[in-house]
Amino acid sequence: MMELTRAEGTPAIDWESLAARQDARRARKNALLTGVFGAVGLATVLLVFALVAIIAYKGAGTISWEFLTQPPREGMSAGGVGPMILGSLLLMLGAFVMATPLGVFGGVCLAEYGERSRLMRLMHASVAALAGTPPIVYGLFGLAIFVLKFQFGVSLLAGWCTLTLFCVPAIVLTTEAALKTVPAALIDGGLALGLSRWQTLWRIALPYALPGILTGIILSLGRAVGEATPVLFTASVYYTTAEMTLGWDTLRQPVANLPYYLAEGYRQPGVVPERLIWGACLTLIALTLLLNAGAILIRSRMRRRYL
Amino acid sequence: MTTVMATSTQKTAIETIDLTVSYGGKPALKGVSVAFPENAVTALIGPSGCGKSTLLRALNRMNDRIPDAETRGKVILNGQDIYDRRMNLTRLRREVGMVFQKPNPFPMSIFENVALGPRLHYGLRGRALQEVVEDALRKAALWDEVKDDLHKSGLALSGGQQQRLCIARMLAVQPRILLMDEPCSALDPISTQKIEELIIELGKRYTVIVVTHNLQQAARISHYTGFLMYGEVIEWGETAELFARPKRPETEDYIRGRFG
Repeated sequence: MMELTRAEGTPAIDWESLAARQDARRARKNALLTGVFGAVGLATVLLVFALVAIIAYKGAGTISWEFLTQPPREGMSAGGVGPMILGSLLLMLGAFVMATPLGVFGGVCLAEYGERSRLMRLMHASVAALAGTPPIVYGLFGLAIFVLKFQFGVSLLAGWCTLTLFCVPAIVLTTEAALKTVPAALIDGGLALGLSRWQTLWRIALPYALPGILTGIILSLGRAVGEATPVLFTASVYYTTAEMTLGWDTLRQPVANLPYYLAEGYRQPGVVPERLIWGACLTLIALTLLLNAGAILIRSRMRRRYL
Repeated sequence: MTTVMATSTQKTAIETIDLTVSYGGKPALKGVSVAFPENAVTALIGPSGCGKSTLLRALNRMNDRIPDAETRGKVILNGQDIYDRRMNLTRLRREVGMVFQKPNPFPMSIFENVALGPRLHYGLRGRALQEVVEDALRKAALWDEVKDDLHKSGLALSGGQQQRLCIARMLAVQPRILLMDEPCSALDPISTQKIEELIIELGKRYTVIVVTHNLQQAARISHYTGFLMYGEVIEWGETAELFARPKRPETEDYIRGRFG
């Protein structure tokens, strides 16, 4: 192969060997960083898998139709966690119904008016702080306000209100973030077509942002369903042997739920057998994983439709 | 300041009176008074930053979208100043449609893209809506290519088809004035040719105002041409005349390719 000659007047330096040295350095650095990132990434994934695998291993033997549907028997030492599952689902359903409109409207408000108004910037900062507030704080707030002040008592209703507060900040933030991903060109297109600001939001921006918004809602519910502390003082009952009955009274009564059952059951060794705890643990993690899977499914389905 | 008219015989569709637009205090358009003749294609040409897009966007108040934009002067449409406080933006944009540099179909089906406007503006539904959609797609020279795929995503189309979809979307609202901001600059030559033919066709029935940085394009598609520089109108007249015998040295330099 013929070497290309360099332009006349190029400084007399051994360019080739200098470049070769730099290339070798770069290659070493690349290899090192690839190794480090790969190893750390793999460790993270393995950790998660190990967690799920251990719980699945310990809990799988307990899972049965009876365990999932029957109430505890014989002073909590036998039977199942039916009322706890039902209670957790009820708590989540109520929080979903109440937190979704609040969170989505809040997010729309911040996305629409956020940049120009000082008040809105302050609100954004507050919501972000709330989203990072430890759940126990929500639990105590719910106790003070809903249980005592509003005299809801320790009840499903107080639990709904507390969990709603817990979920709203995350939904506001994800809604706002999802709306901010809507390309300005689409908004321009809507406005140029003579659509009003709200029509543009409703017809173009919200549908575009919907997968992101739904994902945010589901993930925040998944987090809520696994938290014991917001419902600890507001909605929970531990010792349930009765099968739950649903009716208007249910609203004013406390409910059993999985995270509280786990926390209390574990604190009282010898009362609840370990296999039941592991079973409940697996049930709870399966529930949250299911919600996450649902979120991913919804997102990919919707994205595929028109994007 | 006297209004620049292309010809004295032509009826005016929309005109600006001493129009000044500034972005953050910096004027992008300086006291421009021009009249756009009805049912003809007018091209706006000039070097980058000359204010041609600003002028275009002033005609349907899309500059309102830019936070620090400030507009002074008037734009008269149907005897009314569109910058009047009482002006209804929805009505304005129903009369004055716009397509953008980059095709921006909505993430919905082809049918829905075109149907959205007539549904919201006129409450059309069912058979009547379908007819309006078909008519708009035919006028945009897209019907034959998409008639069997109306339920498919507008984003699945090629770039040129997307731009024609955006034109159909605009036409379905039944505007009288069409604004096009460099509608071919993101397209390949064959798509560009199709859009150019379409513009010529539309110019027979609509008032079309096209911003372009492509001088040959301006010469091919327009009846009238406005040449802008530094936010001012340098020359304005019949396209053939302006290209053959420019009156101002700046125009001549620009169209001979000495700068730009």
